[in-house]
Order: sequence, then C-alpha cells, then structure tokens
Amino acid sequence: MGSRALLLLAPAFLADRILVNHFSISGFRQAFRPKEEMLRVGVRNYSVHSSLERPNVSRLAETARISLTPQEAEEFAPKIQQVVDWFGQLQDVDLQSIEPAIRADTEVGSFREDSPETFDKREAMIASVPSYEEPYIKVPKVLNKD
Amino acid sequence: MVILFSQAGSSTRRKMLSSVQNPRFLLIQCRRSKPFHNRYHQYPKSIHATSQVQSVSTSLPTSQIQKIQKSILSREKTARQFAEEFLNRLRLTEPHVKSFLHVSQTVLNEADEIDRKIDRNEDVGPLAGVLVAVKDNICTADMPSTAGSKILENYRPPFDATAVRKLKEGGAIIVGKTNLDEFGMGSTTEGSAYQVTANPWNLECVPGGSSGGSAAAVSARQCVVSLGSDTGGSVRQPASFCGVVGLKPTYGRVSRYGLVAYASSLDVIGCFGSSVADAGILLQAICGHDKLDATSSKREVNDFTSQFVAKDIFESQPLKGLRVGVISETLGDGVDQEVVSSIRGAISHLEELGCIVTEVSLPSFSLGLPAYYVLASSESSSNLSRYDGVRYGNQIVSDELSSLYGGSRANGFGPEVKRRILMGTYALSAGYYDAYYKRAQQVRTVVQKSFKAALDEHDILISPAAPSAAYKIGEKKNDPLAMYAGDIMTVNVNLAGLPALVLPCGFVKNGTASLPVGFQMIGAAFDEEKLLRVGHIFEQTLEGCSFIPPLIADEFKC
Repeated sequence: MGSRALLLLAPAFLADRILVNHFSISGFRQAFRPKEEMLRVGVRNYSVHSSLERPNVSRLAETARISLTPQEAEEFAPKIQQVVDWFGQLQDVDLQSIEPAIRADTEVGSFREDSPETFDKREAMIASVPSYEEPYIKVPKVLNKD
Repeated sequence: MVILFSQAGSSTRRKMLSSVQNPRFLLIQCRRSKPFHNRYHQYPKSIHATSQVQSVSTSLPTSQIQKIQKSILSREKTARQFAEEFLNRLRLTEPHVKSFLHVSQTVLNEADEIDRKIDRNEDVGPLAGVLVAVKDNICTADMPSTAGSKILENYRPPFDATAVRKLKEGGAIIVGKTNLDEFGMGSTTEGSAYQVTANPWNLECVPGGSSGGSAAAVSARQCVVSLGSDTGGSVRQPASFCGVVGLKPTYGRVSRYGLVAYASSLDVIGCFGSSVADAGILLQAICGHDKLDATSSKREVNDFTSQFVAKDIFESQPLKGLRVGVISETLGDGVDQEVVSSIRGAISHLEELGCIVTEVSLPSFSLGLPAYYVLASSESSSNLSRYDGVRYGNQIVSDELSSLYGGSRANGFGPEVKRRILMGTYALSAGYYDAYYKRAQQVRTVVQKSFKAALDEHDILISPAAPSAAYKIGEKKNDPLAMYAGDIMTVNVNLAGLPALVLPCGFVKNGTASLPVGFQMIGAAFDEEKLLRVGHIFEQTLEGCSFIPPLIADEFKC
C-alpha cells in the first residue's frame, strides 16, 4: 500500500519511466540516477545534483544544536538523504521569472501600534524557568570554541 | 442485492442502511458507467431510493451544539447532565482510544456554574455547556501544553491561546488536551512522545494526524467538538480517517497566538465536529482579527451559522447552478479504488442537488508535496530553535552552555522532529537556499495562481482528503517518504492558504467492518460561508445513518 502511494511522489515528467506494478524506493532512485549522470558536467543550473554537497548529518546537528549519538547520526543519514534526493525534483522544474511567495497571499500584514505593553503574567512565566535566581535565568558557563 | 454493512448490534433498521454507505454498491454502479475522465455519469435516482431503505428513520447528524443550547436554556436538561454523559463515555472509551493527554478535573464544576447562571437568568454564551477538546499544541494556561513532546513535559503556559480564550468567553467547557504527533510533525500520532491514539472505527488503525487525538475524541463522542491545527492536512486527513467533519479555515481567519509554531506561513487552527453545523459554529466562535497575531486578517466575519437550517426547508435542488470542479490529478494512480468510488458517489450526490460538476486540472499539483516539505522543514528548524531548555521545558544537567542546548534538545525531541530540523537546517544553509527554499517558495506562487484560476471558473473544488482510508498502526512508521505521500491531497491547500472542509461521504471495506472516507471541498480565500453551506446541505441530504463508529454504536440508535 505504501509503495503504491509513492507513485504520487514521482514528478509527472518521469511518468513513462515508472514501473507500473511495484514502485519501491530504490526503484525511484534508479529512475533518478541516469538523469544525474547526464547532468554531471555543465553549467551551474544543471549540476545542482552533484555540486550540492550531500547532507553531512553530524555537521547539521552541530548547527542545529542537537547532540546526536553516532548511532543516531548513522541511522538518520540514509533517511535524510532519501528525502533530500526527493526534494531534488524542485530543481528539474522551470521556475524562471516566478516570484517566490513568502506566505499565502490572503492578506497583507496588519501591525499593531508600536508601543510597549507589559505582559501581566510574569510570575507564571518565571515559574517555568528551570533554573532561576532572582533576577537571573541561570545557565552553565559558556565556552568559546573557535 | 445484499447490503454488507455490519456494525455492532443487530437491529434490522441498522442493516437497512442506505446504499450510499456501502462502497460495494457504489463500485458496481461505477463499473456500469462511462469512464470517469470523460464526463460525470448521471447516476439513476435509485441509488438513494432502493426499496429496502425506505423505512430508515434517518437520524442525520444534527447540530449537537444547538441541541445542547436548546436543552439547557429551556431547562429540559442541565449542563451537568450533558457533561456527565460525555465524561462517562470518555471514561469507558479512553482506555481503548487514548485520545487525551490530559483530562480536566473541573468539568462538572464548570457545568454547575453554567446551570447556576441559567437559573439566575444570566447570559451564558453560544457555547455554554459544550464540551470542547483542545489539541495539545494549543496553549491552555490551566492545563499542561506539551505539543506531544517530552521537551515540554508538564509545561504550563502563562497564557491561553486566543482561540481558547474565545471559547471560554463563549461558555465552552474545555474537557482536556488531545494527543498529537510531536509538534504537528506526522500523520498518525505515532510521532507523539506519549502514546498512540487509536481509530475508534478500528482500534488497530491510526486515527490520522497530526490532530489524531482531536479527531478521535469527536468520533468516539468523548466531546462535542474539538480544536486541531492544520499545517499540511493535519485536520483534514484525520477527519477523513475518523469519519468526522474537519474544517480548515483560510490562513489569517483564526489567530495563531498561542498555537505552538511549526511552520508559521502554513499553520492554522482548525475545527472538528460530528456535523458541519457544529464545525461551523465552533469556527464562528474562534475566528476574527487579533492584534497579537500580525498575520490575522482584519476582514469582517459574517454570521456563518444562520444558514444551518433544517433540511425540510431546502428546495428540491438547493445547490442548483453551483459550479464544482473535481481536481483530476487526485483521482488517478496511487489513490485507492474504493476511495475513488466514494468520491464518485459524492459527486453524483452533488449533481442530484443541482451542481454542475466538471473536471479541472492543476498540473503543478504533485510538485506541491516536495515544496511543502522543504518549506515546513525549513520553517520548523527555525521555529523549534527556541526550545533550548533555558527558559522553559526540560533541561538536562550540563556544565557548559552549548551542550546544555545540544543535550536538552537531543533528549527532548523525538526522531522525526530531529530529522525535520536537520533537513530544514540543510535546506536553509548558505549555498542551498536558492536550490531548495527559494524554489519551494516559487512553487508556492505557482500553486496559488493555479488555484486562483480554477476558483475563478468554479465555486468549489473537490478531491479526496487522503489517498486511502486509515491504515494499520505501525504500517508506515519506518518509512517517512511513504507517510509523506499520504499528504498529497492536502498540502497544496496550505500552500495557497485557502479554506477547506472535509466531510464523510462513504466507506471502504476493512475485513468484516468498514472504515470511513471523507471528501475535501476547497473554497476561495475567506469563503468559509459557501463551504459550510454546501457541506451542510450535502450532509443533511445524504441518506443513511450518521457516521458513528461501532465502538459506541450501541448507545446511539440509528
């Protein structure tokens, strides 16, 4: 059932390459690979697949401030790689001269007056702080590593 | 022909259900008709009027809210009595369904207070006595709000979300906080750090997600209505899986203040009810401009609720002239045949009501899914950076700051959340922004434009809410892409910010039992009124029993 639903993930232009019966995830990647190889050499627009570094999970985890165990990093890498490959579809579409939309164009921003207001539930807010010593929120020492 | 629908209990009335509920019957009709892609075959009237079902006393979904209001204001029944009924049912079904992460201890006190006010002839509000469940990613000051995550275990926000505040002002009783996939990331509630919710129709199946708990709670009648949130389909897909009504408002219709942010350009708070009228009344109570949400719309809110009239007032073709567009990309490969049949049944029902149904193609449709996941992962990587264990949430012990961050987050977040943060971090990194995030934004523009063009030619668009009915718990847990694929019907609507309504229209066979299927109606921006009107008329004229799961069917006569 899951593999049938994957048909929906394949972009329209790959339709004729899709194996009608069983479209497994590895089948999806195989359909993609020939195109990658074709595009290895060339102009920046096309070599996106090979010029973009594969996600380095450990480095990303550091940037995102999440301490992954080596085992987790190993487990995540193929799953993340798979999804990022799938994102690659976006490169194959012609989006020249289309403006990016930052949100639904349902309404333009409505701002309130730019004047400060006091939040009236300070105690409840402070009660949530794990380590508090009036008036400081405590944290351990900061080590600068460069 | 033999009608195969079976439910707990054996009253003959229940067996003589309308053919609409029996997908086999619909399927046979479909096979006889012309191929779908040419034109919509006008089904013979007999699909709704087989002699076997004449004597069904149709207990169509009525507005529970209106019923409760009427009873308590006329003192025919007390708010306490209603509250006790629901709490009893909650207590009986909860060990099986597990919709709730927290149940309020003050429900009966609040009900008593409402009764006292009524005795004193004081105003009590349009939701007085109505038990509402709230998804746990919506802040409630007097109850924990965990967003389904360990990182916010026992967290009590210092404020109520605006939507919750409005519910309370309307007299509603918040019965508890419902289970969800952690931070809204998931489609089954298997991503919750606390428990997995079961589908009341089949306890081995998922209720959908991420608002699975809210959908299951309404489906099992543990509460009257509930709030959920919808970023990529998280209200609409569980509504379909659980056989309830799910309403996603236009982006900006309901304030997001107090909704735990997942993807700020896509998130909305949505409504569940057992009838279209209830979902609409709930929306009415919570929508409107909020100065605390800069993306909330200043547009005036009409009264949607005056159109929820009884069906005997309907004309013979109450939707005459309504132009309906079926999105052709949503009924092709990859969608369960039985789901397609149910949608075809819905289409023929709409035609009988006077609609003009045609096909419309949205070629950018399938591109919306990767674009959505790029945008959602990227925005969530930014939104979830606030969970650092310093000002709130679980904090691990560390003697150094960055490992305090790293450790608290590693300890507090589940695997799906971590993966999405990492993918989002990747997509936003220097050098990758143009390739992924910016392109996804451009796809968003394309999707918005194509919906706008389609909605210029049609009043509403329709599609299934999901490519299948509810699947088994565990079936897709280890295959993220397979799970993402299930969102194909819903994500484009979030990209465009449009409103959508899902209501049950049929069933698929699941062993000897059945699982509900919902269809999705998409409207133009801020056109909830039209969606609700069409939905209400569709629902009230759909013959057959209400969509009540076998788990509680004995209590409700059909």
